[in-house]
Amino acid sequence: MSGFAAVLRKDLRLELRSGESTLALLALSMLVLVVLVFALGAARVRSVDAAAGALWVAMVFAGMLGANRALLAERDNGAIRGLLLSPLDPSTLYAAKLCAAFIFMAVAEVGAVVLMVLFFNLDFDASMARLAPILVLGAIGFSALATLLSAITGRTRGGDMLLPILAVPIFVPALIAGVKASAAALSGAPFESMGDWLKIMIAFDVLFVTAGYLLFEHVVGGD
Amino acid sequence: MNNPTIRNWLGFSTLALMLASLFMVFDYVPPDAEMGIAQLIFYFHVPLAWVAFASFGLVAIAGIFYLWLGDQLWDDLGYAAAETGMVFCTLMIVAGSIWAKPIWGTWWTWDSRLTMTFILWLMYGGYLMLRASADDTPQVARFGAVIGIVAAMDVPIVIVSVRLWRTIHPAVLVTKQGTHGLEDPRMVWTLLVSLTAFTLLWAWLLMLRFTQLRTRSRMAWLAGRIALATAAASDPK
Amino acid sequence: MGAHFGYLFAAYSIIFVAMFLYVMFIWRRQAALDAELRTLEARVAALTEHSAAGRPPEPRSGA
Repeated sequence: MSGFAAVLRKDLRLELRSGESTLALLALSMLVLVVLVFALGAARVRSVDAAAGALWVAMVFAGMLGANRALLAERDNGAIRGLLLSPLDPSTLYAAKLCAAFIFMAVAEVGAVVLMVLFFNLDFDASMARLAPILVLGAIGFSALATLLSAITGRTRGGDMLLPILAVPIFVPALIAGVKASAAALSGAPFESMGDWLKIMIAFDVLFVTAGYLLFEHVVGGD
Repeated sequence: MNNPTIRNWLGFSTLALMLASLFMVFDYVPPDAEMGIAQLIFYFHVPLAWVAFASFGLVAIAGIFYLWLGDQLWDDLGYAAAETGMVFCTLMIVAGSIWAKPIWGTWWTWDSRLTMTFILWLMYGGYLMLRASADDTPQVARFGAVIGIVAAMDVPIVIVSVRLWRTIHPAVLVTKQGTHGLEDPRMVWTLLVSLTAFTLLWAWLLMLRFTQLRTRSRMAWLAGRIALATAAASDPK
Repeated sequence: MGAHFGYLFAAYSIIFVAMFLYVMFIWRRQAALDAELRTLEARVAALTEHSAAGRPPEPRSGA
Protein backbone atom coordinates (compact mmCIF):
# COMPACT_ATOMS: atom_id res chain seq x y z
CA MET A 1 0.00 0.00 0.00
CA SER A 2 1.37 3.40 -0.81
CA GLY A 3 2.62 5.63 1.97
CA PHE A 4 -0.12 8.12 1.30
CA ALA A 5 -2.84 5.57 1.71
CA ALA A 6 -1.19 4.11 4.79
CA VAL A 7 -1.05 7.42 6.64
CA LEU A 8 -4.56 8.31 5.60
CA ARG A 9 -5.91 4.97 6.68
CA LYS A 10 -4.15 5.25 10.03
CA ASP A 11 -5.63 8.66 10.77
CA LEU A 12 -9.10 7.61 9.76
CA ARG A 13 -8.93 4.31 11.62
CA LEU A 14 -7.80 6.04 14.78
CA GLU A 15 -10.73 8.36 14.55
CA LEU A 16 -13.27 5.70 13.71
CA ARG A 17 -12.19 3.70 16.72
CA SER A 18 -12.69 6.41 19.28
CA GLY A 19 -14.81 8.99 17.49
CA GLU A 20 -13.90 11.50 20.13
CA SER A 21 -12.50 14.13 17.81
CA THR A 22 -15.55 14.07 15.59
CA LEU A 23 -17.80 14.35 18.59
CA ALA A 24 -15.82 17.30 19.88
CA LEU A 25 -16.01 19.04 16.51
CA LEU A 26 -19.73 18.56 16.25
CA ALA A 27 -20.24 19.71 19.81
CA LEU A 28 -18.16 22.82 19.22
CA SER A 29 -20.08 23.66 16.04
CA MET A 30 -23.34 23.37 17.86
CA LEU A 31 -22.20 25.47 20.79
CA VAL A 32 -20.86 28.19 18.52
CA LEU A 33 -24.17 28.30 16.68
CA VAL A 34 -26.09 28.47 19.94
CA VAL A 35 -23.97 31.35 21.18
CA LEU A 36 -24.49 33.20 17.92
CA VAL A 37 -28.24 32.69 18.00
CA PHE A 38 -28.40 34.26 21.43
CA ALA A 39 -25.86 36.93 20.61
CA LEU A 40 -27.55 38.04 17.39
CA GLY A 41 -31.06 38.04 18.79
CA ALA A 42 -34.24 36.47 17.51
CA ALA A 43 -34.97 39.12 14.88
CA ARG A 44 -31.69 38.78 13.07
CA VAL A 45 -31.82 35.02 13.17
CA ARG A 46 -34.34 35.10 10.35
CA SER A 47 -31.84 36.50 7.89
CA VAL A 48 -29.98 34.31 5.44
CA ASP A 49 -26.86 36.44 5.86
CA ALA A 50 -26.79 35.73 9.57
CA ALA A 51 -27.22 32.03 8.94
CA ALA A 52 -24.39 31.90 6.43
CA GLY A 53 -22.15 33.92 8.72
CA ALA A 54 -22.90 31.74 11.72
CA LEU A 55 -22.23 28.60 9.71
CA TRP A 56 -18.80 29.80 8.69
CA VAL A 57 -17.91 30.94 12.20
CA ALA A 58 -18.76 27.48 13.46
CA MET A 59 -16.74 25.89 10.66
CA VAL A 60 -13.66 27.96 11.27
CA PHE A 61 -13.64 27.31 14.99
CA ALA A 62 -14.29 23.62 14.54
CA GLY A 63 -11.62 23.49 11.88
CA MET A 64 -9.05 24.99 14.18
CA LEU A 65 -9.91 22.62 16.97
CA GLY A 66 -9.62 19.73 14.57
CA ALA A 67 -6.26 20.85 13.30
CA ASN A 68 -4.84 21.23 16.79
CA ARG A 69 -5.99 17.80 17.84
CA ALA A 70 -4.79 16.09 14.71
CA LEU A 71 -1.23 17.00 15.42
CA LEU A 72 -1.59 16.58 19.16
CA ALA A 73 -2.02 12.84 18.88
CA GLU A 74 1.15 12.44 16.94
CA ARG A 75 3.19 14.87 18.96
CA ASP A 76 2.32 13.29 22.29
CA ASN A 77 3.51 9.88 21.31
CA GLY A 78 6.53 11.08 19.43
CA ALA A 79 4.99 9.31 16.50
CA ILE A 80 5.93 12.15 14.23
CA ARG A 81 9.56 11.05 14.41
CA GLY A 82 8.57 7.61 13.29
CA LEU A 83 6.80 9.07 10.31
CA LEU A 84 9.77 11.18 9.40
CA LEU A 85 12.23 8.31 9.64
CA SER A 86 10.13 6.32 7.24
CA PRO A 87 10.91 6.65 3.53
CA LEU A 88 7.72 8.62 3.15
CA ASP A 89 8.41 11.96 1.52
CA PRO A 90 7.08 15.02 3.37
CA SER A 91 4.89 16.23 0.54
CA THR A 92 3.06 12.92 0.47
CA LEU A 93 2.68 13.12 4.22
CA TYR A 94 1.14 16.55 3.74
CA ALA A 95 -1.28 15.25 1.15
CA ALA A 96 -2.39 12.46 3.43
CA LYS A 97 -2.86 14.77 6.41
CA LEU A 98 -4.71 17.21 4.23
CA CYS A 99 -7.15 14.54 3.14
CA ALA A 100 -7.72 13.41 6.70
CA ALA A 101 -8.31 16.98 7.84
CA PHE A 102 -10.67 17.54 4.94
CA ILE A 103 -12.72 14.49 5.77
CA PHE A 104 -13.04 15.52 9.40
CA MET A 105 -13.98 19.03 8.43
CA ALA A 106 -16.55 17.79 5.93
CA VAL A 107 -18.20 15.69 8.60
CA ALA A 108 -18.27 18.68 10.95
CA GLU A 109 -19.71 20.82 8.16
CA VAL A 110 -22.59 18.44 7.57
CA GLY A 111 -23.47 18.60 11.23
CA ALA A 112 -23.16 22.40 11.26
CA VAL A 113 -25.38 22.75 8.21
CA VAL A 114 -28.08 20.60 9.77
CA LEU A 115 -27.97 22.68 12.94
CA MET A 116 -27.93 25.90 10.97
CA VAL A 117 -31.07 24.94 9.08
CA LEU A 118 -32.78 24.10 12.35
CA PHE A 119 -31.64 27.09 14.37
CA PHE A 120 -32.08 29.70 11.67
CA ASN A 121 -35.47 28.61 10.40
CA LEU A 122 -34.38 27.49 6.96
CA ASP A 123 -35.40 24.55 4.80
CA PHE A 124 -33.70 21.36 3.65
CA ASP A 125 -34.31 22.13 0.00
CA ALA A 126 -32.49 22.69 -3.27
CA SER A 127 -30.34 25.39 -1.69
CA MET A 128 -28.49 22.62 0.15
CA ALA A 129 -27.28 21.30 -3.18
CA ARG A 130 -26.01 24.75 -4.10
CA LEU A 131 -24.37 25.12 -0.72
CA ALA A 132 -22.48 21.85 -0.89
CA PRO A 133 -19.77 22.76 -3.44
CA ILE A 134 -19.13 26.04 -1.64
CA LEU A 135 -18.54 24.24 1.64
CA VAL A 136 -16.31 21.69 -0.08
CA LEU A 137 -14.15 24.47 -1.49
CA GLY A 138 -14.00 26.09 1.91
CA ALA A 139 -13.05 22.86 3.64
CA ILE A 140 -10.25 22.19 1.14
CA GLY A 141 -8.79 25.65 1.62
CA PHE A 142 -9.03 25.62 5.37
CA SER A 143 -7.65 22.11 5.71
CA ALA A 144 -4.74 22.96 3.44
CA LEU A 145 -3.88 26.03 5.48
CA ALA A 146 -4.47 24.50 8.89
CA THR A 147 -2.46 21.35 8.16
CA LEU A 148 0.53 23.46 7.20
CA LEU A 149 0.20 25.93 10.05
CA SER A 150 -0.53 23.42 12.78
CA ALA A 151 2.72 21.64 11.95
CA ILE A 152 4.37 24.92 12.93
CA THR A 153 2.27 25.91 15.91
CA GLY A 154 2.23 22.41 17.30
CA ARG A 155 5.93 22.74 17.97
CA THR A 156 6.18 26.17 19.50
CA ARG A 157 5.31 27.43 22.96
CA GLY A 158 1.80 28.79 23.16
CA GLY A 159 1.15 27.09 19.86
CA ASP A 160 -2.51 26.54 20.49
CA MET A 161 -3.20 30.24 20.69
CA LEU A 162 -0.91 30.93 17.80
CA LEU A 163 -2.85 28.85 15.30
CA PRO A 164 -5.90 31.15 15.12
CA ILE A 165 -3.69 34.25 15.10
CA LEU A 166 -1.84 32.96 12.08
CA ALA A 167 -4.71 31.21 10.33
CA VAL A 168 -7.51 33.75 10.52
CA PRO A 169 -5.92 36.71 8.68
CA ILE A 170 -4.62 34.40 5.99
CA PHE A 171 -8.01 32.70 5.64
CA VAL A 172 -9.92 35.99 5.28
CA PRO A 173 -10.40 35.92 1.48
CA ALA A 174 -11.85 32.42 1.54
CA LEU A 175 -13.98 33.42 4.51
CA ILE A 176 -15.40 36.50 2.83
CA ALA A 177 -16.02 34.64 -0.41
CA GLY A 178 -17.45 31.61 1.38
CA VAL A 179 -19.92 33.57 3.47
CA LYS A 180 -21.08 35.68 0.54
CA ALA A 181 -21.48 32.67 -1.72
CA SER A 182 -23.25 30.68 1.00
CA ALA A 183 -25.69 33.49 1.66
CA ALA A 184 -26.38 33.72 -2.06
CA ALA A 185 -26.90 29.96 -2.29
CA LEU A 186 -29.27 29.93 0.65
CA SER A 187 -31.36 32.73 -0.76
CA GLY A 188 -31.85 30.89 -4.03
CA ALA A 189 -29.46 32.73 -6.31
CA PRO A 190 -28.01 30.78 -9.27
CA PHE A 191 -24.33 29.85 -9.52
CA GLU A 192 -23.56 32.49 -12.12
CA SER A 193 -24.19 35.27 -9.65
CA MET A 194 -21.58 33.93 -7.25
CA GLY A 195 -18.99 33.49 -9.97
CA ASP A 196 -16.50 35.94 -8.53
CA TRP A 197 -16.68 34.47 -5.06
CA LEU A 198 -16.21 30.94 -6.36
CA LYS A 199 -13.22 32.05 -8.37
CA ILE A 200 -11.64 33.52 -5.28
CA MET A 201 -12.20 30.32 -3.33
CA ILE A 202 -10.78 28.18 -6.09
CA ALA A 203 -7.74 30.43 -6.39
CA PHE A 204 -7.24 30.24 -2.64
CA ASP A 205 -7.49 26.46 -2.64
CA VAL A 206 -5.07 26.01 -5.51
CA LEU A 207 -2.61 28.43 -3.95
CA PHE A 208 -2.62 26.88 -0.52
CA VAL A 209 -2.65 23.25 -1.48
CA THR A 210 0.35 23.97 -3.69
CA ALA A 211 2.08 26.01 -1.02
CA GLY A 212 1.49 23.35 1.60
CA TYR A 213 2.70 20.61 -0.70
CA LEU A 214 5.92 22.48 -1.47
CA LEU A 215 6.65 23.94 1.95
CA PHE A 216 5.67 21.09 4.27
CA GLU A 217 9.14 19.57 4.16
CA HIS A 218 10.64 22.71 5.69
CA VAL A 219 8.21 22.58 8.50
CA VAL A 220 8.58 18.99 9.64
CA GLY A 221 12.33 18.84 9.61
CA GLY A 222 14.41 17.40 12.40
CA ASP A 223 14.75 19.39 15.60
CA MET B 1 26.04 45.56 4.57
CA ASN B 2 27.65 46.23 7.94
CA ASN B 3 29.50 49.18 6.57
CA PRO B 4 29.13 52.05 9.02
CA THR B 5 29.88 54.62 6.34
CA ILE B 6 26.91 53.54 4.27
CA ARG B 7 24.80 53.48 7.40
CA ASN B 8 25.74 57.00 8.34
CA TRP B 9 25.18 58.33 4.85
CA LEU B 10 21.80 56.66 4.85
CA GLY B 11 21.02 58.22 8.19
CA PHE B 12 22.01 61.70 7.13
CA SER B 13 20.19 61.60 3.83
CA THR B 14 17.13 60.31 5.63
CA LEU B 15 17.26 63.22 8.00
CA ALA B 16 17.75 65.70 5.19
CA LEU B 17 14.89 64.37 3.12
CA MET B 18 12.55 64.10 6.08
CA LEU B 19 13.19 67.75 6.89
CA ALA B 20 12.65 68.66 3.26
CA SER B 21 9.41 66.76 3.13
CA LEU B 22 8.22 68.38 6.35
CA PHE B 23 8.94 71.78 4.92
CA MET B 24 7.13 70.94 1.72
CA VAL B 25 4.08 69.61 3.49
CA PHE B 26 3.70 72.47 5.87
CA ASP B 27 4.92 75.38 3.82
CA TYR B 28 4.93 74.57 0.15
CA VAL B 29 2.08 72.41 -0.99
CA PRO B 30 -1.47 73.75 -0.95
CA PRO B 31 -3.89 71.62 1.04
CA ASP B 32 -6.78 70.05 -0.77
CA ALA B 33 -9.56 72.54 -1.24
CA GLU B 34 -12.38 70.40 0.13
CA MET B 35 -10.73 68.38 2.84
CA GLY B 36 -8.78 71.12 4.49
CA ILE B 37 -5.58 70.93 6.36
CA ALA B 38 -6.02 67.42 7.72
CA GLN B 39 -5.64 66.14 4.19
CA LEU B 40 -1.93 66.79 4.49
CA ILE B 41 -1.66 63.57 6.45
CA PHE B 42 -1.94 61.98 3.02
CA TYR B 43 1.69 62.85 2.32
CA PHE B 44 2.80 60.70 5.20
CA HIS B 45 0.11 58.10 4.98
CA VAL B 46 0.82 56.99 1.42
CA PRO B 47 4.58 56.50 1.94
CA LEU B 48 3.87 54.57 5.15
CA ALA B 49 1.57 52.31 3.17
CA TRP B 50 4.12 51.66 0.46
CA VAL B 51 6.79 50.84 3.01
CA ALA B 52 4.51 48.58 5.04
CA PHE B 53 3.70 46.48 2.01
CA ALA B 54 7.22 46.54 0.61
CA SER B 55 8.64 45.41 3.92
CA PHE B 56 6.26 42.50 3.99
CA GLY B 57 7.37 41.54 0.53
CA LEU B 58 10.93 41.63 1.79
CA VAL B 59 10.04 39.26 4.63
CA ALA B 60 8.73 36.80 2.08
CA ILE B 61 11.69 37.13 -0.27
CA ALA B 62 14.12 36.74 2.61
CA GLY B 63 12.15 33.68 3.64
CA ILE B 64 12.49 32.13 0.21
CA PHE B 65 16.24 32.72 0.19
CA TYR B 66 16.57 31.35 3.69
CA LEU B 67 14.78 28.13 2.82
CA TRP B 68 16.80 27.83 -0.36
CA LEU B 69 20.28 28.78 0.84
CA GLY B 70 20.09 28.13 4.57
CA ASP B 71 22.28 31.11 5.45
CA GLN B 72 21.26 32.73 8.75
CA LEU B 73 21.79 36.11 7.11
CA TRP B 74 18.48 35.79 5.28
CA ASP B 75 16.58 34.99 8.42
CA ASP B 76 18.07 38.03 10.15
CA LEU B 77 17.02 40.17 7.21
CA GLY B 78 13.50 38.77 7.28
CA TYR B 79 13.12 39.33 10.99
CA ALA B 80 14.42 42.91 10.72
CA ALA B 81 12.04 43.57 7.84
CA ALA B 82 9.14 42.19 9.86
CA GLU B 83 9.89 44.45 12.80
CA THR B 84 10.36 47.61 10.80
CA GLY B 85 7.37 46.75 8.65
CA MET B 86 5.25 46.33 11.75
CA VAL B 87 6.27 49.77 12.98
CA PHE B 88 5.35 51.37 9.65
CA CYS B 89 2.13 49.40 9.33
CA THR B 90 0.97 50.40 12.80
CA LEU B 91 1.74 54.03 12.04
CA MET B 92 -0.12 53.79 8.78
CA ILE B 93 -3.24 52.59 10.52
CA VAL B 94 -2.93 55.24 13.22
CA ALA B 95 -2.34 57.99 10.66
CA GLY B 96 -5.22 56.73 8.55
CA SER B 97 -7.49 56.69 11.54
CA ILE B 98 -6.53 60.21 12.53
CA TRP B 99 -7.19 61.28 8.95
CA ALA B 100 -10.56 59.56 8.92
CA LYS B 101 -11.86 61.27 12.03
CA PRO B 102 -12.09 64.84 10.74
CA ILE B 103 -12.78 63.88 7.14
CA TRP B 104 -15.34 61.13 7.60
CA GLY B 105 -16.35 61.68 11.19
CA THR B 106 -15.38 58.23 12.38
CA TRP B 107 -12.21 56.65 13.76
CA TRP B 108 -12.57 53.45 11.83
CA THR B 109 -14.36 52.12 8.80
CA TRP B 110 -14.22 48.86 6.90
CA ASP B 111 -13.10 50.62 3.77
CA SER B 112 -11.26 48.19 1.52
CA ARG B 113 -7.85 49.76 1.99
CA LEU B 114 -8.06 50.11 5.74
CA THR B 115 -9.33 46.55 6.01
CA MET B 116 -6.45 45.27 3.89
CA THR B 117 -3.96 47.14 6.01
CA PHE B 118 -5.47 45.78 9.18
CA ILE B 119 -5.15 42.25 7.87
CA LEU B 120 -1.54 42.96 6.94
CA TRP B 121 -1.02 44.21 10.47
CA LEU B 122 -2.46 40.98 11.85
CA MET B 123 -0.14 38.96 9.65
CA TYR B 124 2.86 40.92 10.88
CA GLY B 125 1.64 40.40 14.42
CA GLY B 126 1.33 36.66 13.90
CA TYR B 127 4.86 36.44 12.53
CA LEU B 128 6.35 38.44 15.38
CA MET B 129 4.42 36.51 18.00
CA LEU B 130 5.68 33.27 16.53
CA ARG B 131 9.30 34.45 16.67
CA ALA B 132 8.88 35.88 20.14
CA SER B 133 7.33 32.78 21.61
CA ALA B 134 10.03 30.41 20.41
CA ASP B 135 13.80 30.26 20.73
CA ASP B 136 16.05 31.34 17.91
CA THR B 137 16.78 27.99 16.39
CA PRO B 138 17.14 27.26 12.67
CA GLN B 139 13.88 25.31 12.90
CA VAL B 140 12.02 28.36 14.15
CA ALA B 141 13.69 30.46 11.49
CA ARG B 142 12.30 28.06 8.90
CA PHE B 143 8.85 28.39 10.47
CA GLY B 144 9.12 32.15 10.16
CA ALA B 145 10.17 31.87 6.55
CA VAL B 146 7.21 29.65 5.69
CA ILE B 147 4.76 31.98 7.44
CA GLY B 148 6.20 34.99 5.69
CA ILE B 149 5.97 33.34 2.29
CA VAL B 150 2.48 31.97 2.81
CA ALA B 151 1.10 35.25 4.14
CA ALA B 152 2.67 37.30 1.34
CA MET B 153 1.22 34.95 -1.28
CA ASP B 154 -2.14 35.51 0.30
CA VAL B 155 -2.01 39.29 0.12
CA PRO B 156 -3.13 39.64 -3.53
CA ILE B 157 -6.13 37.40 -2.90
CA VAL B 158 -7.00 39.37 0.21
CA ILE B 159 -6.88 42.61 -1.75
CA VAL B 160 -9.19 41.26 -4.43
CA SER B 161 -11.67 39.75 -2.02
CA VAL B 162 -11.82 42.74 0.32
CA ARG B 163 -12.32 45.11 -2.59
CA LEU B 164 -15.13 42.96 -3.93
CA TRP B 165 -16.63 42.74 -0.47
CA ARG B 166 -16.76 46.50 -0.13
CA THR B 167 -18.19 47.28 -3.54
CA ILE B 168 -21.12 44.90 -3.12
CA HIS B 169 -22.26 47.02 -0.22
CA PRO B 170 -22.08 50.61 -1.41
CA ALA B 171 -19.85 52.31 1.06
CA VAL B 172 -21.45 55.03 3.09
CA LEU B 173 -18.17 56.86 2.94
CA VAL B 174 -16.35 57.68 -0.22
CA THR B 175 -13.16 55.72 -0.64
CA LYS B 176 -9.96 57.55 -0.01
CA GLN B 177 -8.44 59.65 -2.69
CA GLY B 178 -5.81 57.84 -4.72
CA THR B 179 -2.70 59.33 -6.20
CA HIS B 180 -4.58 60.21 -9.37
CA GLY B 181 -6.52 63.37 -8.75
CA LEU B 182 -3.48 65.37 -7.75
CA GLU B 183 -4.05 68.40 -9.93
CA ASP B 184 -1.40 70.69 -8.58
CA PRO B 185 2.16 69.65 -9.56
CA ARG B 186 3.33 70.80 -6.16
CA MET B 187 1.30 67.98 -4.68
CA VAL B 188 3.07 65.49 -6.90
CA TRP B 189 6.49 66.79 -5.90
CA THR B 190 5.65 66.77 -2.24
CA LEU B 191 4.43 63.24 -2.47
CA LEU B 192 7.56 62.11 -4.29
CA VAL B 193 9.84 63.75 -1.77
CA SER B 194 7.86 62.26 1.07
CA LEU B 195 7.93 58.85 -0.56
CA THR B 196 11.69 59.01 -0.93
CA ALA B 197 12.17 60.28 2.60
CA PHE B 198 10.20 57.44 4.12
CA THR B 199 11.82 54.82 1.96
CA LEU B 200 15.21 56.05 3.12
CA LEU B 201 14.00 56.05 6.71
CA TRP B 202 12.88 52.48 6.29
CA ALA B 203 16.17 51.48 4.70
CA TRP B 204 18.10 53.10 7.52
CA LEU B 205 16.06 51.48 10.31
CA LEU B 206 16.21 48.17 8.48
CA MET B 207 19.96 48.39 8.23
CA LEU B 208 20.31 49.25 11.91
CA ARG B 209 18.19 46.37 13.07
CA PHE B 210 19.59 43.96 10.50
CA THR B 211 23.21 44.58 11.47
CA GLN B 212 22.22 44.18 15.08
CA LEU B 213 20.59 40.81 14.41
CA ARG B 214 23.58 39.74 12.33
CA THR B 215 25.89 40.57 15.20
CA ARG B 216 23.71 38.62 17.57
CA SER B 217 23.64 35.58 15.31
CA ARG B 218 27.37 35.59 14.79
CA MET B 219 27.99 35.98 18.50
CA ALA B 220 25.74 33.03 19.22
CA TRP B 221 27.73 30.98 16.76
CA LEU B 222 30.96 32.19 18.28
CA ALA B 223 29.80 31.37 21.79
CA GLY B 224 29.07 27.86 20.64
CA ARG B 225 32.55 27.48 19.20
CA ILE B 226 34.16 28.83 22.33
CA ALA B 227 32.22 26.41 24.47
CA LEU B 228 33.43 23.56 22.30
CA ALA B 229 37.00 24.77 22.44
CA THR B 230 36.83 25.17 26.21
CA ALA B 231 35.48 21.68 26.64
CA ALA B 232 38.09 20.23 24.33
CA ALA B 233 40.92 22.04 26.08
CA SER B 234 39.88 20.83 29.50
CA ASP B 235 39.77 17.18 28.41
CA PRO B 236 42.72 15.27 29.82
CA LYS B 237 44.69 14.21 26.79
CA MET C 1 -8.81 75.63 7.83
CA GLY C 2 -6.97 75.63 11.11
CA ALA C 3 -9.86 73.73 12.60
CA HIS C 4 -8.33 70.35 11.87
CA PHE C 5 -4.83 71.35 12.65
CA GLY C 6 -4.94 69.37 15.88
CA TYR C 7 -5.41 66.14 13.97
CA LEU C 8 -2.60 66.92 11.60
CA PHE C 9 -0.28 67.73 14.45
CA ALA C 10 -1.26 64.59 16.33
CA ALA C 11 -0.62 62.37 13.33
CA TYR C 12 2.80 63.77 12.59
CA SER C 13 3.86 63.79 16.22
CA ILE C 14 2.88 60.17 16.67
CA ILE C 15 4.89 59.20 13.63
CA PHE C 16 8.01 60.90 14.85
CA VAL C 17 7.66 59.72 18.42
CA ALA C 18 7.23 56.14 17.22
CA MET C 19 10.33 56.31 15.05
CA PHE C 20 12.30 57.77 17.91
CA LEU C 21 11.10 55.00 20.24
CA TYR C 22 12.11 52.32 17.77
CA VAL C 23 15.58 53.79 17.45
CA MET C 24 15.81 53.84 21.26
CA PHE C 25 14.76 50.19 21.33
CA ILE C 26 17.55 49.31 18.90
CA TRP C 27 20.07 51.38 20.82
CA ARG C 28 19.33 49.66 24.11
CA ARG C 29 19.57 46.22 22.54
CA GLN C 30 22.94 47.28 21.23
CA ALA C 31 24.22 47.99 24.73
CA ALA C 32 23.27 44.48 25.81
CA LEU C 33 24.95 43.01 22.76
CA ASP C 34 28.14 44.93 23.44
CA ALA C 35 28.26 43.59 27.00
CA GLU C 36 27.87 40.05 25.68
CA LEU C 37 30.62 40.69 23.17
CA ARG C 38 33.01 41.75 25.91
CA THR C 39 32.26 38.52 27.80
CA LEU C 40 33.03 36.49 24.71
CA GLU C 41 36.24 38.39 24.13
CA ALA C 42 37.32 37.68 27.69
CA ARG C 43 36.67 33.99 27.18
CA VAL C 44 38.73 33.91 24.03
CA ALA C 45 41.54 35.69 25.84
CA ALA C 46 41.38 33.18 28.67
CA LEU C 47 41.50 30.29 26.21
CA THR C 48 44.49 31.61 24.33
CA GLU C 49 46.56 32.47 27.41
CA HIS C 50 45.87 29.13 29.02
CA SER C 51 46.79 27.17 25.97
CA ALA C 52 49.96 29.24 25.73
CA ALA C 53 50.76 28.35 29.35
CA GLY C 54 50.07 24.67 28.59
CA ARG C 55 47.35 24.31 31.20
CA PRO C 56 43.72 23.63 30.43
CA PRO C 57 41.33 26.37 31.56
CA GLU C 58 38.56 25.62 34.05
CA PRO C 59 35.47 24.40 32.28
CA ARG C 60 32.85 27.09 32.23
CA SER C 61 29.19 26.31 32.53
CA GLY C 62 26.76 27.68 30.03
CA ALA C 63 27.59 29.16 26.69
